[in-house]
Amino acid sequence: MADDDEPREGRAPDRRVFLKVATCALGGGIGVAAGVPAVSYLLHPVGGRTVTASTEPIDAIAVRELGLDPVRVPLRARAVRDAWSSTLDVPLGAAWIRRDEQGEVKALSSVCPHLGCAVAFNQPAREFRCPCHDSAFAVDGQRQRGPSERDLDPLPLTIEKGRVLITWVRFRAGGSSRDPA
Amino acid sequence: MPLVASRLGDWLDERTGHRRALHVALEEPVVGGASFMYVMGSVLLFLLVLQTVTGALLAFYYSPSASDAWGSVAYIEDQVTLGWFIRGLHHHGASAMVICAGLHMLQVVIYGAYKKPREVTWWVGVMLLGLILAFALTGYLLPWDQTGYWATKVATGIAGETPGAGVEVQAALQGGNEYGNLTLTRFFALHVFVLPALTFGLVAIHVLLFRKHGVTPRWGRSAEELERRAQPFWPDQLFRDVAAMAVAFAALVAWVLHTGGAGLDPPADPSSNFDARPEWYFRALFQMLKYFSGPMETVVALGAPVLVGGALFSLPFIDRGADRSPRRRILALALVLGGFAATGALTMISYRADGADPELAEREAQSDRLAARARRLAREHGVPAAGGIAVYTTAPWYEARKLWAEHCAGCHSGEDREGPLIGPGYNNRAWIRGMLTTPSGDTYFGRTKLAKTEDAMPETEATGADLDALVEMVYAETGAADADQALAARGVEVFGEQPCGDCHERTGTETSSGPNLAGRGTPAHLRAFIADTGLPQFFGDKHQMPRIADDLSPAQIAILADWVIWLRTASDEDVKRLDD
Repeated sequence: MADDDEPREGRAPDRRVFLKVATCALGGGIGVAAGVPAVSYLLHPVGGRTVTASTEPIDAIAVRELGLDPVRVPLRARAVRDAWSSTLDVPLGAAWIRRDEQGEVKALSSVCPHLGCAVAFNQPAREFRCPCHDSAFAVDGQRQRGPSERDLDPLPLTIEKGRVLITWVRFRAGGSSRDPA
Repeated sequence: MPLVASRLGDWLDERTGHRRALHVALEEPVVGGASFMYVMGSVLLFLLVLQTVTGALLAFYYSPSASDAWGSVAYIEDQVTLGWFIRGLHHHGASAMVICAGLHMLQVVIYGAYKKPREVTWWVGVMLLGLILAFALTGYLLPWDQTGYWATKVATGIAGETPGAGVEVQAALQGGNEYGNLTLTRFFALHVFVLPALTFGLVAIHVLLFRKHGVTPRWGRSAEELERRAQPFWPDQLFRDVAAMAVAFAALVAWVLHTGGAGLDPPADPSSNFDARPEWYFRALFQMLKYFSGPMETVVALGAPVLVGGALFSLPFIDRGADRSPRRRILALALVLGGFAATGALTMISYRADGADPELAEREAQSDRLAARARRLAREHGVPAAGGIAVYTTAPWYEARKLWAEHCAGCHSGEDREGPLIGPGYNNRAWIRGMLTTPSGDTYFGRTKLAKTEDAMPETEATGADLDALVEMVYAETGAADADQALAARGVEVFGEQPCGDCHERTGTETSSGPNLAGRGTPAHLRAFIADTGLPQFFGDKHQMPRIADDLSPAQIAILADWVIWLRTASDEDVKRLDD
């Protein structure tokens, strides 16, 4: 309230200037005292992990069920902690799993690296296609065309007693570098 | 810089006219001069804004469903940065609003500010008071904790006594026949959408009407005097208003820090006994209901608020004279002040009665312990999808102890047991030593039928180092990592020298007159043993314990076996700590 058009003379106007400054100071003080806790409260989830899943590898499928064509296998975590709740047996995502020509088992995340839609396997063309923005990937995950800047994300896996165990990782969508989200 | 600001101001003013709006809002003369007597309305407005802001902040983390509400509030309270503080501001801010509304009303009544031409302002104010209480009533339930659940049950129960359509009224309020998800979604919608919309609307009318008529100055002053003493609203009155807001805010913050926030009771448990207590400002009504029963109770519960509201509404008609001097308005003042006094007295009586009840204090202390436990479990393990009360199931050994209490405790713990005592230290060296030296002792097989027959195990004659070795041999069978294998091997020799082998085999599942000792106390052994002690390698037809496999699944029996193994190395304190 600097645009004070009252005449600056006598005691009363001086007193009023003081009152104006004091009012704004008090009001600002209340705002800061309430605002600082409010902002730190709102930013609580930033930098923390509010959703965490059990990290042990997930039993996906038997090796002998796999061929050259990929199969889609939903991956379920034993337990997920989501803010306050804990839930058992929760789907995290899906993997496309196959054996390549050398007989090696390969798993790809079904999450499109472009913007996170789920890719589907087109059997006649033998390629993965994203239904959202038409990115296409070869059966080994290599980028063919479309807006995605990188190949499909491979998922770490181990073979134990003839079963494929997959460690689920959600990668950050977009960009050419592969970073866990 | 000032030039830029002023040109920007000009630009904006041309388009919005904000300078005139500000002028109209702020430059109002306060006839009779600014006064701290007028600050309560502004403080209430400030508190309303604070409630709106903290309420919106809470909504960032709160989830209004029967299975999530308690968990989300516990999350705000214990895990979100300063969540306890924000929630404390909101919770105690509601109390602050009730206090300030009371003071505001008192000032208005003493100054006679409800009189012509301000009757409508007064009525809108009375409605706003009702809305404040409606906020309190709907907000109390939202955490879905014991207090909120049970106190609100009473409130909707009272609504269910409405003559003619009680069932329908109650069902409409609570969203169906029982408390559940729909109760919460309803109360939530009322609390965060409907009531705020009504409140903002009425506050706007209240403030506009106030601006139309101006302040009601102190009685007994002439028009000239009032005019002469007039001061501008900005800054003379606004300074006083903001100073009062700062005091109110500081007091509220101090109270939140002092109390540690709103607190949170254990999750709502419909199967529990809970001493339902309303918020302090409903205590008078709560206390009054104790004096009436049957149909009168309904009349009072539904009638008292109507009566009070009606009396306040008709105050401008009861007190109609133009004179605002309190001395000429004894009746109206007595009515309102009497109401305040009666409310205060009933509230005091209620708190006194509770304070004089040591059993209530014990129950409340118990509830506090349960709350601390529930919140700790929620923090450490999360709340299962089944909802708030399921948090207790995440405690260590919860399932095992539940099964134990239902299927085992009757015979294996307590004074009336019929079998060996099984508790902390079961199957450790001391226990085994006692078993070998006093097999028919009271804590061992003394209470079983077997102990009274000639098949009862005789006390071992081994002593000293031989007994130590024998104990170690039995102990080593449990697979305990700290077993002394050399000593256990020596025990096998003692076993051969003593008559033990007459009744006990030590390998495979070979049978004898007594139980086979192979792997005794290992998970596999305990599972088989708990499932059926009548198997030939155990007690055979001499067994007394019921066949647990008939009642429990193999998975449940495995949980019990793990529990019994845990007991071996546990102390009484360890077991007690499970209940913390």
